Amino acid sequence: MRFRDLAFLVVSNLRRMKLRLALTSLGVVIGTSAIVLMVSLGIGLQANLTTSLGDLGAATHITVMPGGMETGMPDEGQLTDAALERFETIEHVEAVMPMTYVMSAQGARYKRYESYMNIMGVPMDAFEAFGYELESGRLPRTDSEVLLGAAVPTSFAAGDSATQAGPSGRLKLDLLGKRLDLTLMMWPSEEEMQKDPMAQGTERKQRLTVVGILAPTDMQTDQTAYVTLDAAHAMNGATRRTTAYENVVVKADSTRNVTAIEDEISGQGFFTFSSQSMLKELNTVFLIIQGVLGALGAIAMLVAALGIANTMTMSIYERTREIGIMKAVGASNRQIKRVFLGEAAIIGVLGGIGGLTFSWAGAALANLFVQSLIASQAGSSGGVMPETSAFFQIPVWLALFAIVFASGIGLLAGVLPAVRAANLDPLTALRHE
Amino acid sequence: MTTAVQVTGLTRQYVMGGEPLEVLRGVDLSIAYGEIVCVMGPSGSGKSTLLNIVGGLDRPTSGSVVVAGSDLARMDDEQLAVYRRRQVGFVFQSFNLIGTMTARRNVELPLLFSGEPEDQRTARAAAALQAVGLGHRLDHKPTELSGGEQQRVAIARASVNEPAIMLADEPTGNLDTHTGQEILSLITSMNAEGRTFLITTHDRAVAKAVAHRIVTIVDGAIARIEQGGTL
Ligand SMILES: Nc1ncnc2c1ncn2[C@@H]1O[C@H](COP(=O)(O)OP(=O)(O)O)[C@@H](O)[C@H]1O
Ligand SMILES: [Mg+2]
Repeated sequence: MRFRDLAFLVVSNLRRMKLRLALTSLGVVIGTSAIVLMVSLGIGLQANLTTSLGDLGAATHITVMPGGMETGMPDEGQLTDAALERFETIEHVEAVMPMTYVMSAQGARYKRYESYMNIMGVPMDAFEAFGYELESGRLPRTDSEVLLGAAVPTSFAAGDSATQAGPSGRLKLDLLGKRLDLTLMMWPSEEEMQKDPMAQGTERKQRLTVVGILAPTDMQTDQTAYVTLDAAHAMNGATRRTTAYENVVVKADSTRNVTAIEDEISGQGFFTFSSQSMLKELNTVFLIIQGVLGALGAIAMLVAALGIANTMTMSIYERTREIGIMKAVGASNRQIKRVFLGEAAIIGVLGGIGGLTFSWAGAALANLFVQSLIASQAGSSGGVMPETSAFFQIPVWLALFAIVFASGIGLLAGVLPAVRAANLDPLTALRHE
Repeated sequence: MTTAVQVTGLTRQYVMGGEPLEVLRGVDLSIAYGEIVCVMGPSGSGKSTLLNIVGGLDRPTSGSVVVAGSDLARMDDEQLAVYRRRQVGFVFQSFNLIGTMTARRNVELPLLFSGEPEDQRTARAAAALQAVGLGHRLDHKPTELSGGEQQRVAIARASVNEPAIMLADEPTGNLDTHTGQEILSLITSMNAEGRTFLITTHDRAVAKAVAHRIVTIVDGAIARIEQGGTL
């Protein structure tokens, strides 16, 4: 029997039972939509969260903060030079970089342009070891030189408008070799506060020369300006280097070793986090969400499969005599089986296509709804609209999978009825009715 | 070879509620190509059972059935299907056409399962319907045809694959006498063009009208073989 003839026979058989076909396919439509929407939500959520996780730092970086726990270690969770040296000896650690925030930084001015940026003190040799790349210029060598993150030159706005302007309205300044004037707010020390409780902070100016600009990354680095550790300490008003850092970044030689290093460091009494451990935790959550959603879809699909099996069983019963006739004129068991498997598969395919169409429409609507929700919230809080990709994503592979899966379900549901039809005794079948 | 069908020592036993029922008890029969053989006998004597076994729809309990040189006893289900498709044409008392298909589609059915290309298939089906006088009713469904016309479509379907043997089980049983006569003369004229027939009937007049030989079965055994009226 030719495939074309089989297909024709199957289709003309199905055309005889349009209503039943529609109702049975509807079950598959529901099951397919459930599964597709659920998987697409999983994909969308993961994509959105992984995108925003990029901000937390490069995949091999571990951020270490003081632990403040009783550990029995000599430094009691303080990020001292000794602790840093210990980190360096941990296996697979490539580099260790302490960081000191310049807390006093109020803003920077270049000519009539102003900007607010994070200023951070880092040891420049370690900085290089971390693999940050310079877009132009060089690393700072003296305490009056500064290195800018890639986004800093675009963060300036003219005069008073600096606080209002959105990121898009800003201009890109050519700052290499130029001088920035920083405003520092020196808060009174505790001793001074004891002497005079009404003591006010005093503003100080600091002039820095831009000697380099970093290549863009997807991290916070882009919005930060870097100075030497000593410069940062000086700007914070400390006369000499403090004994412990607030923040240390440890770089692993590969993402695979991040977790082991993290475990070792947190075992020494420090707080750690990395995009790796974050991702791992989130992945577990997603796995659970997707598992629950998938189970719901599977139940819907199971019900749909039972519907197909039921419809096929009924229609085979009604066509028993016809099966007898086909056998009498020479149809083999296998040919009969193919006819009914074909019908079941087509029910599945139609349901799959319907389900996919439904999911596409549903996903588009849901995305529109979520985005307008986010937009209205961002609008009312005066913030900038965050860049969100779609929360329901239906990639091509998912669409293909849905169709194949639905037809597979149809086929599977049709197996038992089709085998029964094929094995009918021709004489018994002919005597039916 | 001139023997179309050779039946030797054929028995068929059904088991009904634990009780064995001997429906055929050692039937020997040979049919030559170009012959019309009628099997006569009272109801329940085993006529249909004999026909169904020769047609590969039922299996013998013992004995051999050789049609066009091949032994049915040695065939599995798949081979029996191919045998029915190529060597047999069935005509039933109740026509057994598929109600949702046109006359042409019904006649095409055996060729469909043998994988014949569509253009040849439709041409052969049209020719077969032409031969039974229904060339103008190709696209009519069975409900739009009279009983006699439906039986003609069934005969066209049975002959379209050029079978070695055409089997008709009470072909006039559902028709009035006049229409029955027309079907019998159609059978006679097809036989004149070389078709071989094995026909069952309980009606002696029917047998007399077409048969070269009349085989009378009583209780599953051949009681008598006589030369028919047409010889
Ligand atoms: N599948 C079957 N199971 C049990 N008994 C059967 C079956 N088919 C036929 N018989 C019995 O075999 C006998 C012969 O039947 P059949 O060949 O149809 O007779 P006829 O066609 O001569 O009227 C009957 O008694 C019938 O009840
Ligand atoms: Mg009978």
